[in-house]
Amino acid sequence: MPEDRTAVVDDSSRMLEKALRDLSMQYYSLDRCHQCGICTEACPHTNLRKAERFSPRVFIQKARLGLIDLAGGELWRCTTCGSCLQVCPYEVPLVDIIVSLRNLVFEQGAGYVPPSFKAVLASLAASGNPWREDPDKRADWFEELAPQGESRPEAPEILLFAGCFPSYDRRGRSIARAAVQILREAGIGFDILGNEEKCCGDSALKIGDMKTFERLRKANLEAFSGRHAERIYTLAPHCSHVMKTRYAFGRDNGTAAKPFLLLLHELVVEGRLPLGEVKRARAVFHDPCYLGKYEGITEEPREILARIPGLETAEMAHHGKRSLCCGAGGGGFWLDTLKGERLAEIRLDEAVEAGADLLVTACPYCLAMFEASRASDNRWAGLEILDIGELVLRSLSDKPGM
Amino acid sequence: MTGLKAALTLDEFEIPSVIVEKSGELGGKVRGYGKTFPDFRSGRALVSGLVKRVDSTGMIRVLRNCTVSGIRTEGDHYRVRLSDGTSLDAHAVILAFGFEPFDATRQEEYGYGVCPNVIAAPELEALLDPLGPTKGRLLRPSDGKPVRKAAIIFCVGSRSKRTDSPYCSRICCSYSTKQAIEIKESDPDAQVVCFYMDIRTYGRGFEEMHQYAREIGVKYIRGRVSECCALPDGDILVRAENTLLGKPVQGVFDLVSLSVGMTPSPDTSSLAEMLGIELGTDGFFISADGGLSPHDTGREGIFLAGAVTGLKPIRDCILEGTSAGGRAAAYLRRRRA
Repeated sequence: MPEDRTAVVDDSSRMLEKALRDLSMQYYSLDRCHQCGICTEACPHTNLRKAERFSPRVFIQKARLGLIDLAGGELWRCTTCGSCLQVCPYEVPLVDIIVSLRNLVFEQGAGYVPPSFKAVLASLAASGNPWREDPDKRADWFEELAPQGESRPEAPEILLFAGCFPSYDRRGRSIARAAVQILREAGIGFDILGNEEKCCGDSALKIGDMKTFERLRKANLEAFSGRHAERIYTLAPHCSHVMKTRYAFGRDNGTAAKPFLLLLHELVVEGRLPLGEVKRARAVFHDPCYLGKYEGITEEPREILARIPGLETAEMAHHGKRSLCCGAGGGGFWLDTLKGERLAEIRLDEAVEAGADLLVTACPYCLAMFEASRASDNRWAGLEILDIGELVLRSLSDKPGM
Repeated sequence: MTGLKAALTLDEFEIPSVIVEKSGELGGKVRGYGKTFPDFRSGRALVSGLVKRVDSTGMIRVLRNCTVSGIRTEGDHYRVRLSDGTSLDAHAVILAFGFEPFDATRQEEYGYGVCPNVIAAPELEALLDPLGPTKGRLLRPSDGKPVRKAAIIFCVGSRSKRTDSPYCSRICCSYSTKQAIEIKESDPDAQVVCFYMDIRTYGRGFEEMHQYAREIGVKYIRGRVSECCALPDGDILVRAENTLLGKPVQGVFDLVSLSVGMTPSPDTSSLAEMLGIELGTDGFFISADGGLSPHDTGREGIFLAGAVTGLKPIRDCILEGTSAGGRAAAYLRRRRA
């Protein structure tokens, strides 16, 4: 086929451009971009060593000319991490643009959708979790932990929203169990949604499947409505973020969803958790995007680490709001990405370069990405990966007399 | 410059004036410019020429180290209260107190104020000045090492909604290009790399200067820098995308200079409030009649000149000082009649 050198876009491109503009409801947002490229340098994909990389700048240039190849995979590479939003001088809402375009593709069948997404979304719609797991076994992790006959408090102080990975996955359940043990140690009365809990919908939303998202949102809101749920703490910052921005509760009854990390921080700072010495380790903290970049929470996890005796801390080259994504966001968790092209590998390398033997994070999805990549190569074998709750629990249990 | 020029113009109409100067010396920021663009004339010489003329006429009184603490109408004139407790009466007031460079610490990712070898353009200006602290030798602050590789980052505090300064500061592309030429001319082997988004060398002779810079080997890379990192030896790692090639690039430099934009002078808002005159959303004064009366304000007898209404090169400030002086003279003559 001869090379296309037309400068003016054809009709189909114009239709796509128009659809995108209408959908994004940000008519001028595309044109605000000056193609300065500051986003490309901030984008985690730029750190991958491969020839064809996702570039936010190029994506926008193509989008406003209607030249996105919807039959290709480019649209699905963005993890919605928000690095570009941190630096863009013109505040171009790239993540909104991407999600709008995905929504268009998804709902109108207008292009390629990664096959792995389809199964996940079907499962989310049918079972409320991404793995076709039995909804009635969602709270098994908790039942196994609860001493027989213990009744739930009538007026719990908080509601713990576990999320899918901590509810079903073997590795993930350790995060959920740690949270419960910490709450018990601190004497916090809490409740969970149990089997009524469904996926928060973050993945469905960021993939562009609004119908599934709405279904999950409604189911969770209904479950919340029957509980004392003014203070909701979620183990994944994705869950609290989507609740805060999309669940539209809190307007009348003051309900608020926050990352569990904030409660953990509160308990540690108030001295309600007697932290004991842990095995010597040099720890780095990986800032999850929906915690650091979206919520601006970067100091609190470091304050927790600083209070754990025996721990030495360091920083990775990218940290705080300039942290790089693990690759899980925006549906990335469900993509089959080849070894050598995974964003998580960049973080593992940075952790090793910082001389760390312990990589701590505060998002179950970051943890899962790191665990999966670590197993793929020997050079990360010396690195232990923990959720910050697991680490705090370790600091509690290793204490003499416990 | 603007104020001096306005006073000298009033002098030509034989109208006496008082210059209230905040600092100890006349001439404002131009006094600190070793060379100005596009003709590389000394800023200091420009100022001293004007100051000499101000001093030689008997009509201009100069109050140094003095600020305005209040202005109110009294009968047919304004009573201006001064910081030294005295006051003076004037039938017309010209506001010509200029601008403030953007505070580069506000753009944290460039490390200004943290890495000693990341400097802002006014500091580079001083380092390039033959009468400056290094006698014009470009030595980097951390260890005095001569600079062989310099990066200049354009649009710092300009064209950014994020820093609340969405406007183009107009002069940065040109002054930075001038500085790049100075570095290159004093050491042809030095590498100078300018990271830019657009080159806006719009004035007479400005674009020719830009072309000359390219001809003598100043490199321009189109891409806005996302981050500067200090290396242990004091060098600075700069990362950007070369957007024309669509490739990420990085370079290690001895020194990084930030082309800071211009922001409204911190005195703008208090004077606006004191006088009840309007500010634009960008924080600069707005002139009357939708700009058709460029020096007038909503208050009779209060006039605007120079960078207080937005960003201008020296040449335009000279022009504005001259025309504001003329406008005030016309106002005073009509008033008398």
